[in-house]
Amino acid sequence: MTDPNMTDKPMTDPPAGPPAGLDREALAAASRAPAYRKVRRAEAIPGGTPTEKAPDPSLGGDPIAKERYTSTDFMRLEWERMWTKVWLLGGLESDVTEPGDYICTEIGRESVLLVRQKDGAMRAFYNVCLHRGNRLRAEGASSAASFKCQYHHWEYEIDGSFKRIPDLDTFPQGAPPCRGLVELPCDTWGGFVWFSLDKSVGPLREFLEPMPLHLDPYNFTKMALTRDITVEWECNWKASVDAFNESYHVQGIHPQLLYYLHDLDIQIDCYERHNRYLIPFGVVSPRVRKPPSIPDPIKTIMKGAGMDPADYDEPIENIRRDVQKQKRKVGPSQGKDYSRLNDDQLTDDYHYLIFPNVTLNAHADDLMLFRQRPHPTDPNRMFYDIWTLELVPDGQERPPRPRHQRFAYGDKSIGLVLDQDAQNLPGVQAGMQSKAFEGLWVGSQELRIRHFHKVLDDYVQGPGGA
Amino acid sequence: MDLGLRGKRAIVTGSTKGIGRAIVELLAAEGCDIGLCARSEDEVADAVRDLKARGVTVSGGAVNVRDAEAYKAWLDRTVEELGGCDIFVPNVSAGGGMDSEKNWWKCFEVDVLHTVRGCEQLMPQLEKSGHGSIVIIGSTNALETFYAPMAYNAMKAALLTYSKQLSQFIGRKNIRVNTVSPGPIYFEGGAWEMIKSTNQKMHDATLKAMPNGRFGTPEEIARAVAFLASPAASIITGANLVADNGFTKRVQY
Repeated sequence: MTDPNMTDKPMTDPPAGPPAGLDREALAAASRAPAYRKVRRAEAIPGGTPTEKAPDPSLGGDPIAKERYTSTDFMRLEWERMWTKVWLLGGLESDVTEPGDYICTEIGRESVLLVRQKDGAMRAFYNVCLHRGNRLRAEGASSAASFKCQYHHWEYEIDGSFKRIPDLDTFPQGAPPCRGLVELPCDTWGGFVWFSLDKSVGPLREFLEPMPLHLDPYNFTKMALTRDITVEWECNWKASVDAFNESYHVQGIHPQLLYYLHDLDIQIDCYERHNRYLIPFGVVSPRVRKPPSIPDPIKTIMKGAGMDPADYDEPIENIRRDVQKQKRKVGPSQGKDYSRLNDDQLTDDYHYLIFPNVTLNAHADDLMLFRQRPHPTDPNRMFYDIWTLELVPDGQERPPRPRHQRFAYGDKSIGLVLDQDAQNLPGVQAGMQSKAFEGLWVGSQELRIRHFHKVLDDYVQGPGGA
Repeated sequence: MDLGLRGKRAIVTGSTKGIGRAIVELLAAEGCDIGLCARSEDEVADAVRDLKARGVTVSGGAVNVRDAEAYKAWLDRTVEELGGCDIFVPNVSAGGGMDSEKNWWKCFEVDVLHTVRGCEQLMPQLEKSGHGSIVIIGSTNALETFYAPMAYNAMKAALLTYSKQLSQFIGRKNIRVNTVSPGPIYFEGGAWEMIKSTNQKMHDATLKAMPNGRFGTPEEIARAVAFLASPAASIITGANLVADNGFTKRVQY
């Protein structure tokens, strides 16, 4: 590491060890993380989400090489060895309830149709006509009696088999020797449809392990989509995954959240591929002074639980506990089944990364899911999908499905917090290209980032590869 | 100018932080004995310890001023410990908020009733003093439209009317009653520090409304309060001293 403060000084025989001109003790004294009292954590409940801390993996302290964010070579390897080998989130089961309902989703250069069959199963096909390679359908969810190519009207059944090839008798070689559209593995879990570009991929459940055990208690199938947005971001998809994989940036770009959550008392758990952290909500960060009144963001949490902040006379530090108690009490009468969730899940953010690209903010009453997709050709661009799902109380009708919105970064707000993230990322991507930047210098608050890149490396370079 | 505060006994509610803390610090520095309260026992203990270092008598109590009986009992105890009361500054406020009707009840009980109850409870002592002085803490939110029609704003307005009429009512007892109406005051651990993070737009717009481009400080309010509380302000009663850095735009006739 070069000390930028030294550039004006004569560079003769740089000493081994800490560079001269930098007082490490003063730096440490000025930079210490604040002390804090740990929040109370709930015990796991039987059949509920595990709460125990997973042992931290030993992943060392080396910088994470930056080329993976910027190089097209790495992008190619990532495609060949990772994207085409894993299970990928394709869409919501609620979009494909009837035979013929389909989701057309894109990943990298590929486009895939996820189609509900007459027998209720889901099947996935490359969204490509076997005649001249035309895409059969545009991205989005819809319904089809058959898939007819708009170019020469080659037509496929919803199970992918050829239905009609106009003037087939003019093809001396006959129809292609396959049965129809090229099929891919497809399965469902958690109210979501998953597919893989690897025909010999293992079972979805195995890949997701142990996510179903963790997330089934939320019962996402009882939640309805209320927001469906895709934003084009000027950064590598991993810069976005990284941004949501640590809480260290809260004090940097989300100062308002310091009056909403505990950004330091974070339980990080890394599993085989996937990871999570548990962030206490409804508390004031130890980084800021105790405010004279209940912060507005915490009032919102209280109101969500049917509590009146104006009628609350307890110290602010009791709010999280009292919201948990209140939700437990009123949940059943509101038609909300929290029976498989522990108390912390009634307030906190159980935040998961399902490798490679699905970020889930799981809450008792909603799920905020981000899907981070690479650009087909440019490592400096990505697609950021936001799906917000909200619990539909028993006895209430599901709200109508929102229209999918797609826009470029900056054209529309996606909410203050996400705008703050979005605003930051192009600068990260640009800065990483600099000669002065060698790699990511990540700390223990960013352990999930290290873990994510280790899992990625295992795919791209082979386990233990360098 | 000697304010004549030495040896006076001042009771200030809500005085471990912010404006209240600055008031007791200044009054203690001017030689007043101090009675202070807040809800947190720890904070009270810390403030008592710090103020005692100034060599004055300090009496502190942890009390929720919404609890009328506990509050009056604390006032009585404090009077006993200080041997009387010359100055009363009811400073506690429920603060802003538009969460429900409860905000109205809370501001009424905390801002209005705690002031009224305190004045009534301490009246015999203030009369005995010979230069009793009450300084009520208002707000510029009562004087001009600010942000939203909050209970806080309207209840602070009620205090202005109360303050003026009380000054007429008890003037013959040689007790003066004045109000200081602070504008937005910034301090560490205060509302504006939080708003700066949670609602930066509101913070910036408020700052922009200050002709000199800065928030007021608790120490500046404390100086205005100390003056009105002191015998040096013997001719001033029934006044509303707007201490706001020019935040309000109205003309005061």
